[in-house]
This record gives sequence, C-alpha cells and structure tokens, in this order.
Amino acid sequence: MTEPKDEVLIDVRGVGKTFANGVVGLKNVSLRVKRGEVVCIIGPSGSGKSTLLRTLNALETITTGEIEVLGHSVHASRADLNRLRTHLGMVFQSFNLFPHKTVLENLMLAPRVVVGIGEGEARERAEQLLAKVGLADKAEAHPAQLSGGQQQRVAIARALAMQPDIMLFDEPTSALDPEKVNEVLDVMKVLAREGMTMCVVTHEMGFARAVAHRVVFMEAGEVVYEDEPQRFFAAPANERLRAFLGQVLK
Amino acid sequence: MYVAVLLAIGYALHAAGDRIEYSWRWERIPQYLVSNEGTELKASFDGFVSVGADGKSLTLKELKGGRRETLTGFDDLLVGDGDLVFQNDPLARKRGLVPGPLTLGLWMTLRISAVALLFSMLLGLAAGLGRVSRNPAAYGLATTYVELIRGTPLLVQIFIFYFFVGTVLKLSAFTAGVAALAVFTGAYVAEIVRAGIEAIPKGQMEAARSLGMSVPQAMRHVILPQAFKKTLPPLAGQFINLIKDSSLVSVMALTDLTKAGREVVASTFSPFEVWFTVAAMYLVLTGTLSWCVRRLEKRLAHD
Ligand SMILES: Nc1ncnc2c1ncn2[C@@H]1O[C@H](COP(=O)(O)OP(=O)(O)OP(=O)(O)O)[C@@H](O)[C@H]1O
Ligand SMILES: [Mg+2]
Repeated sequence: MTEPKDEVLIDVRGVGKTFANGVVGLKNVSLRVKRGEVVCIIGPSGSGKSTLLRTLNALETITTGEIEVLGHSVHASRADLNRLRTHLGMVFQSFNLFPHKTVLENLMLAPRVVVGIGEGEARERAEQLLAKVGLADKAEAHPAQLSGGQQQRVAIARALAMQPDIMLFDEPTSALDPEKVNEVLDVMKVLAREGMTMCVVTHEMGFARAVAHRVVFMEAGEVVYEDEPQRFFAAPANERLRAFLGQVLK
Repeated sequence: MYVAVLLAIGYALHAAGDRIEYSWRWERIPQYLVSNEGTELKASFDGFVSVGADGKSLTLKELKGGRRETLTGFDDLLVGDGDLVFQNDPLARKRGLVPGPLTLGLWMTLRISAVALLFSMLLGLAAGLGRVSRNPAAYGLATTYVELIRGTPLLVQIFIFYFFVGTVLKLSAFTAGVAALAVFTGAYVAEIVRAGIEAIPKGQMEAARSLGMSVPQAMRHVILPQAFKKTLPPLAGQFINLIKDSSLVSVMALTDLTKAGREVVASTFSPFEVWFTVAAMYLVLTGTLSWCVRRLEKRLAHD
C-alpha cells in the first residue's frame, strides 16, 4: 500500500447542512484527506454519507462551516466550481452514463468540451482508460448494452479521463448484482495502489479493510468515529460503531 | 370492416347531398388545382396597341408619355391593332398549365407554416430553457410569455398582431401572420421542451456538472439531445396543430389555402366539393409531416 503524503487535499471544517425542508443532513462534520489517502465512509442509511461526499464538489450546498479542496474554498461565492470539479472525479451509485453516446464518446465528451483537448488526444486517452478498466472491446457500445459492472467501470474511466486529483465514490457497487461487485472493486484497488486520493462511501467492509488508510463512521449526520482499518474493525472504542458492525458483519 | 364503414359514410354523405337536392359537380374542381388558362400578359400603363405584321409581336405606346413596351412569345392575342387599353388590361396569353388558386393557397399555407415552425422552435427552445432556469428574470419572463399566450385565443392574438403590432412596426401581412403563429406555437413548444428536460433523470445533469461542465454545456451535450428524442412525438403534434391553426391567418389579407377555398366557393357555388378538397389538401400536409416525424423517430431509435 502506498503511503499518503503530508499535503492536505480535502479539509472539511465544522460543516453543517440543513435541507430546504428542514431535514438536517450534516452536523458539525470535520474531515481531512491527504494526497494519496484512501478514506472509506460507512454508516447506516440516511446518516449523511452521500450528502458529505456531494458537498465536496458542491453538488450540494452547505449551511455552516467551510470546505477547502486543493487549497480552494469550495463554497465561497467566487469559487470557480467548473474548474474545481475537473480536479474531483465522481462515481455515482446509479452510474449516470450518457445513454445517447457510445462508451468512447462518454469518455471523450468532458475532456473535449471542458478542457478543450483535441479529438485525437481525447480518443487516445479514452482508449487507454478503457483498456485499464478492461473494456477496450466495448468502445463502440452504448451504455444500455453493458452489464451494471461494465457500466460502472466505464463511469470510473469517464471520471479518470479528466485526470482528477481526487476520486469520490458514492456506493459504487450497491446497484450491482453480487457477482459483478468484484470487477468494480478490483479497478478501484488498482487506483488505490497507484496512489489516487479516494473518498469511498461503501458497504463493502472487505474492501475498506483491505484498501483504506482510514475508515470513517457516520451516524445521524455526524462523524462518530474514525480510525485506521485494523483498529476500526477489530476493537472499535465506540459503542454505536460496535453495534453497527455487529449488524453488517453478521 | 374499416373499408365497409368508410364506404357507408361515403354513401351517407352522398345521400345527404341528394336529400337537399345538391348537384355534385366534382368536375369543376380540378381547374382550381391546375389551370390550363395559361398566364395573361398585362399592360403596364395606359396606351394604344399596335400589332406586328405576323401577329407574333405587339407594341404598346403610352397615351400620355413616350414609353413603349414590346411583347413577344405569346400564344393568343387578346386585343386588336389600334385598341386603347388601360393599365392591367390583359393584352395576350401564354398557354400552358399553371397552378390554380387552391394550389397557390396550399403553397402559401406551406410557406407560412414552415417559417412559423422554424421561429417557434427557436422561441420555444429559449422559453423552455427559461422555464427550467434558476435565474429569476429568465424564469419570470418565460413564464409570463407562456401564460399570456396560452391564456388567450389565437384569433385574438392574430388580430393584435395584424392591426396593432403589424401597423406599428409596418409589417407585411405575411410577416405579421408568421409572427402571430410563431409566438403562439412557441409557447406550447416551450412547455414541451420544459417537460422533455424535466423528464431526464437528475443524475445526468449531476454527472455532467461533476465532470466540470457548465450548465449550458451540460444542456447542449447531455440534456437536450436526450430530451429531443422524448419531445419528438408531442412536438410533431404541435406542428400539425400549427398547420391547422394557420387557416386562421385567412382573416388577414393573406390568401392561404382556407382563404383560397372561400374565394373558389364564391365563384363556383360548389361549397361541398371545394371544402372537401381543401380538407383533403390539409390532410396531405399534416399526413406528410407526421410520416416524416415517424421516420425520424425510427432512425433515432436505432442509435
Ligand atoms: N435533497 C434532499 N432534500 C431533503 N432531504 C434530503 C435530501 N437529500 C438527502 N436528504 C436527507 O438527508 C439525510 C442524509 O441523506 P444521505 O443521502 O446523505 O444519506 P446516506 O448516508 O447517503 O444514506 P444511504 O446509505 O441511504 O445512501 C437523510 O435523512 C435524507 O433523507
Ligand atoms: Mg447515499
């Protein structure tokens, strides 16, 4: 496992989020992620895991606190969000591939229109990434022709095509058939080994144990406990986490 | 069964005609579609005619002035040597088939509808984007436009365009008619566009934004191409309405298919045949349009 560097890429300080309908999504959350670090976030449904992840690239606004990514304040009014987001790849539970485009076009679109790189370079980059996720032969397929596991690997490659510094994963395997889970996790393991900075919301405890530098437990919008995986899973010094682990690991 | 019912209806119509002692004169109709009257060459000013020795050329000398005009290449002479004619009097005729008034009316309807369709698309797209915009000014403007147009009858809007907007801006009847139809249809297109955009799952916009695309980039490359497929059937319906609604511009000084029908009825006293013919011509237009759209849909469904 590669060791994280000292540079802090994500700095979440005392963030609170109340939705328009009054539901509290986050309560005083703080979290720091260093370059090259893999952080897994676990917790029961509705505990705010997705909300936290989505505030990092400003898909969700925050009510209080501050978030800095790569030294830039994400929720400042003058933040250049489009530019900042190019440094943060995101992978969704439901893939969200562009159904009207081929796999290759899915990978080429953002580098072409956002960064403005040439057609040839974009194609070359896309083909390399497809080979990396094991889907070189699906370049001309449409997303609907792929299995869930294949679609999610394309989604990962699409995010990587922007050459981000950080990858955010929101339950990337939760919508998959059990036998397809590993092909996606394997791609993520390769990324982790290469030193990618990753925030992964997941229910895959095996993956967290094997790959994460740090595991974060959330409940009711709060970060309740965080630790390195060994201690986190073996003997957590927190009652609520023990109860949660007792449920999911049985 | 289908054919049987159609035959029965056809017979009933015929019988109904007999009941009111209507004499069907279908043979009168074709000349209003294609006429073999040829084109008349008309005098451009008042003057005296002198016919050439071979009868194949004709010269008009202006009555009060020095202008001269020579016509050749006609088939029938309609005036004699030395005749005094006035401006716009027919001088000679060129034989051949020319479109009759109904065909000209159809052509006018087609032109008005096509130009109005183009502008209603642009207007509807802009207003539809306004309807889903988070910018309060864009949203407010688009909403006001849509509510205003959908809340008033088209005929009233046409009168406003013709008598008020047209007069103030000195628009031709054609421009005013096209504008009225485009503005009217645009409001409905806007709602179709809005519904189409809202039917695209939220995750599509989020995925595009998470890759760094701006809202306009995401709209152009991700949302609208998908929305277009979904909106094609309702859009086609709206454009068929546009063709039918275009008959209302016949209240302006525009000879579209409906107005041409009225004029032909006035000169033939065969209202039944003429209106059935006019209806059939509208059907051909709308039928062709829906056929094209169905083909386009099939093509899009393949990729
Ligand atoms: N757009 C929204 N409007 C209002 N409430 C919301 C919204 N999104 C999430 N919530 C609420 O905020 C809380 C946290 O939701 P969140 O999606 O972050 O949970 P989660 O930990 O990701 O759960 P899951 O494991 O089910 O994905 C929940 O109570 C949820 O109902
Ligand atoms: Mg979630």
